[in-house]
Amino acid sequence: MEDKTYRWFLVPALILLVLCIYVPVLRGLVMAFQNYNMFDLTNIHFIGLENFSAVIRDVHISFGQILANTLVWVTASLLFQFVLGFILALAMKEPFRGRGIYSGFVFYAWALSGFAIGLTWAWLFNGQFGLINDLLVRIGLLESPIGFLSSKSLAMIAVLIPNIWYGVPFFGIMLLAALQSVPAELYEAATIDGAGRVRQLFSVTIPYVRPTIISTVLLRTMWIINFPDIIYAMTSGGPVNRTNILATQMINKIFKEYDYGQGAAIGVIIMVLLFVYAIFYLRVTGRQEEEF
Amino acid sequence: MKQRIRTSVLIICVLLAAIPLFAGGSQEKSEKTTLTYMETMTSPGRTATIQGIIDAYEALNPEIEINLISPPYEQADNKLTLMLNSNQDLDIIEVRDHTLKQFVNNGKLEDLTDYIASWDEGDDLLPLTVTAAKTVDDTPYLIPQFFFVKALFVRTDILAQYGFTEMPTTMEEMYEMAIAVTEKAPNQYGFGFRGKGSAFKVSDPMILSDVATIDLENVYRTTDGTFSMSTPEAKAALDAYVDLYNRAVPADGVNWGFNEQVNAFISGTTPFLIQDPDTVALVNEQLGEENYTVIPLPVGKSGKSFLDYGFAGLSIPSYSKNKDAAWDFISFIANAENNADFCRTYGPLPIHASTYANDDYFSSGVYKSWEQEMSDPDTYKFVKYPLDSPKYPGWAQVQEQYMQSLLLGDITSEEAIAAWESYWE
Repeated sequence: MEDKTYRWFLVPALILLVLCIYVPVLRGLVMAFQNYNMFDLTNIHFIGLENFSAVIRDVHISFGQILANTLVWVTASLLFQFVLGFILALAMKEPFRGRGIYSGFVFYAWALSGFAIGLTWAWLFNGQFGLINDLLVRIGLLESPIGFLSSKSLAMIAVLIPNIWYGVPFFGIMLLAALQSVPAELYEAATIDGAGRVRQLFSVTIPYVRPTIISTVLLRTMWIINFPDIIYAMTSGGPVNRTNILATQMINKIFKEYDYGQGAAIGVIIMVLLFVYAIFYLRVTGRQEEEF
Repeated sequence: MKQRIRTSVLIICVLLAAIPLFAGGSQEKSEKTTLTYMETMTSPGRTATIQGIIDAYEALNPEIEINLISPPYEQADNKLTLMLNSNQDLDIIEVRDHTLKQFVNNGKLEDLTDYIASWDEGDDLLPLTVTAAKTVDDTPYLIPQFFFVKALFVRTDILAQYGFTEMPTTMEEMYEMAIAVTEKAPNQYGFGFRGKGSAFKVSDPMILSDVATIDLENVYRTTDGTFSMSTPEAKAALDAYVDLYNRAVPADGVNWGFNEQVNAFISGTTPFLIQDPDTVALVNEQLGEENYTVIPLPVGKSGKSFLDYGFAGLSIPSYSKNKDAAWDFISFIANAENNADFCRTYGPLPIHASTYANDDYFSSGVYKSWEQEMSDPDTYKFVKYPLDSPKYPGWAQVQEQYMQSLLLGDITSEEAIAAWESYWE
């Protein structure tokens, strides 16, 4: 009989995994259905779906607006991060003098803390002393400084820009690694077959790095939807709720209102949205895979 | 063989799980009494000052060892709540005005009445200190360590440039001066607006100081029980406040928090700023004492000025095993001398009456204005926010949303007031 003792060696790792990952997730899940408020910890009990309905039907802080903001935040961030990151990776693919130093410079944004990025960009966008306003006025695009972060139409754009800036290096790094693994013979063959550069990009490069694209896009979506740092530091979700996303509202519920139940309910909503998205996304990308 | 390995793996798991038990147990065996002290309004300079006082205390009391825990400011209240809730080793804790009620509700704080009665410095406490200590159930569950009370910071140099030498005594005068200086020069504005981050703590006292019938126990209620913002006086004052924003504040003001406010004051963009005393050190350092002054908050049309007070203080968890030792340390760190030292480096207002009379720093200069606010109860009324209400924690976000809508011209003042009133209903 085969010796199955090795299974026992998995036990410590399993215990750690369960304690560190599944217990907190389950706890959050349970909390979402409880009256769990820091002001009233002696009165914790199950209240069914009340937390969800309180969040979704809030007459003052519109949930529809928050969902719409989240959609814009995720889609725009992802799209620009991906396209710019891909361009960056293509530009860095061939070796050139000083590439190491250059890549250090362009990738460093990825190493910064989100909150620090938010604070820095909040000053750059400042309506009186901000560098961006100053530049725009000096080159004559603006007559007088404008309050980017206090404008309902511009605030979302103002928080998206630093987030895109922050995320581009991630795609750059991941896609560059994938691009460097594309065999040179494929390009040689394509050239012999008469394919131009654009044709090579779409028929050789992209299909070859497709698995990387699929997994990085999925990962990034999850990270972006759960990334309130920049918004929180720049606008706290304002003005008038225009930059408030699910993740920032979750922070409001927990750190300002001490309502862990409603905070957990928002967490569960994010989880469900991501779950549905992931299934849909993997199915669509998987089907295309079969077509190749 | 197999059996033996299986058993040893199990034993290791059990041992690993038991480590925290042993760690907790070994601490109690030492000869010294160890007190665990958790601060919550952590900042680096402040922690150093507290540690200095702890070192002095330990030198005087060699049998006591004090272990200071300083969690990052943002997480500290939650961490304290969770630790208290699981009865973890804590003997001295810093409790804030907005967390006091929940800790008392959960039965976590010791009643300090007897300790305070036997304290030789108990009689020197300011009336406000005693009031604050007894915030919940008229029982002192904490000794306040300091106060935050708002006052008006004024850039005298900027105002002098435009020919203003008299300080405003009423809100109306301040509004007029702020609007007047704004019209004098480009990029010159009048008022250091607060647009986000509990902005109601600046806007609402300004607005409601026009309403004579405010219930001091709840600033959002009048003495006859109506929502105070719904009164005609408050509506007119709200319109004046919006007018101030439109005529004396940069458009960006809607998004101004503490940093932007203080920066605009120091750079001279806005010569008026309503802030707490901990801003003094920052302004002194970056601007210089000679360029500004602090005056009591101007009165509204009611002839009064409404001030709220923020505070934090020290409490003893009800389950602490070292209550007497904990109190002994609290009475040391909160005595007039140490409290004055603590407040001098940290910034807020000290708790003893004698400090304002004897201490060189607090009896002179800008602190005079705060002393005036605290010693003229006919003019300066200390009011409370409805901290007890389960709706209070959500208020900041709701107030801010409608106020921003109003300032940006999306809704009228009537609509904003109606929305606020519906929130409190």
